[in-house]
Parts: sequence; structure tokens; C-alpha cells
Amino acid sequence: MSAEHHTFSDLDVLIDQVHDLFDEWERSERFAPALGVDDLNRLKLAVHEWLANLVQHAHFNGHHPQIGLSVALQEDGIQCTISDNSDGFNLDDELTIRSTSLESLPERGMGLLMLQACTKRLSYQRVNGSVQKLEFVVSTKDNPWLKIQFS
Amino acid sequence: MSLELKTHNEETVIVRIGKALDFRNASEFKAQCQDQVQEGARNFILDFSDTGILDSTGLGSIFSLYRQVSPLNGQVVFASVSRPVQVVVQLTRTYKVFRQFPSVEAAQDTLA
Repeated sequence: MSAEHHTFSDLDVLIDQVHDLFDEWERSERFAPALGVDDLNRLKLAVHEWLANLVQHAHFNGHHPQIGLSVALQEDGIQCTISDNSDGFNLDDELTIRSTSLESLPERGMGLLMLQACTKRLSYQRVNGSVQKLEFVVSTKDNPWLKIQFS
Repeated sequence: MSLELKTHNEETVIVRIGKALDFRNASEFKAQCQDQVQEGARNFILDFSDTGILDSTGLGSIFSLYRQVSPLNGQVVFASVSRPVQVVVQLTRTYKVFRQFPSVEAAQDTLA
């Protein structure tokens, strides 16, 4: 079955470790031909934006960070779940705030909107006392885009 | 993660982005480009040939540079765009703002 699960605990090297994983998937054509190179790059961007957000803004309240990354091929794309043990936040509220306050040629505030733009069925919820899960699908059938004002 | 800046002529600088332009080195990119603008550079050729990730913060730092050089009639152009970067360009439609060239040399010829 075309599925993978990995765990990470060191935020200092998390991004490099995940990028190495994606490089390996691309080299070995792990999800080909169902997932094209651009689909895989869109998945990498979505995962990167979320992890960048965790590394920069998440509060782990003294807990040792535990991040889980699972991906599984589906008929229309690839399902991704990223778990963490941070305090979490309300993703829907953040997306609303950012989409209504995005400036022209913005320097900040695009990350979660880019994640939203290149995914479907995006949700972030607490699943038990200390674990939260981000879930989304990167579709192989869409050509998504994020509207940014350039002037 | 090393950015390499090379002066092509008085007004044009080539920035070899390397593996990533993201939240980890976007400030460094901004600072180094700002120094070049203060020294008279107006045009920036960003070489993305080896780049595995351009994230939202990295793109934001390019927007910042664009805002700086546009009033000076300067340009920011993309050269040798890798597939991961092309995904971001398509997602954000930034090809409307940043011209793309197949190679650094092609960009140099046009900006010369």
C-alpha cells in the first residue's frame, strides 16, 4: 500500500529532515505515477508551510515536541495528516483573519493561505487531551491558485 | 544555507538562491539585497536552478525587494526556475510580476 508514517522530535532539524524525505520520495518515485512531480512539490509546499508555522509560532508548553507525518495515496490525490502536541489554535479563525487582511504584495501572512490554496478538506482539530491533527488532501486533478494583489 | 551574490554590472546583481529561500534565510536575503540597492543596484536576477523550496516568507522577501526597486525603475526577474519554485509561481500567479528566463545568461542579455 502506498502510505508512509514518520515521526520527528527536534524542531531545529525538522524542516531539513522532512525535505530529505521528500527528496527521497522524488528520487525513488515513491508515489509515481499516481502522484506527478508537481503534485509532490505541492504536497511538500503544504507540509513545509505547516511545519514552518509550528517551528515559528507553536507553544509546546514545556513538552518535548512530537510531530507525526502520515501520507497515503487516494483515488483523487494524496491524504496527509500531521499530528503535534502543541497548544494548537483555531485554524479557521486564522484563515479568515488572514484572507481579509492580506496586503498587496504581502511580506507576511501568506503561509496558511498558501496551505489552504493548495489543499482540499483542510482541518485542524484536537483529537485527544494533548494531540492535534492537521488533515488535508492534495488533489491530482486541480490547478489551485491563491489570489494576491500585485498593485 | 548559502546565498551567493555576484555583481554583473553597476546596476545588476545575480543572486544564486541555493537550496532554499524560506523562513530560515529570508531575512538574510533581504539584508543582502538591501545592501546592494544602497550601493546602486537596481536589477536582480534570482537564480533558482538548485532550489528545492520557495516558501511564503521567501516569496514575501522577494515582494519586499520588488517594492524597493520598482520606484527606481529596477526589475526583479527569475532565472532557471526549478520545478518546486514553478509550483509556487503558478499557485500565486507571480509570473505576472516577475519575468522568467530559461537561464541566468538569457536574463543578463535582456537586462543589459
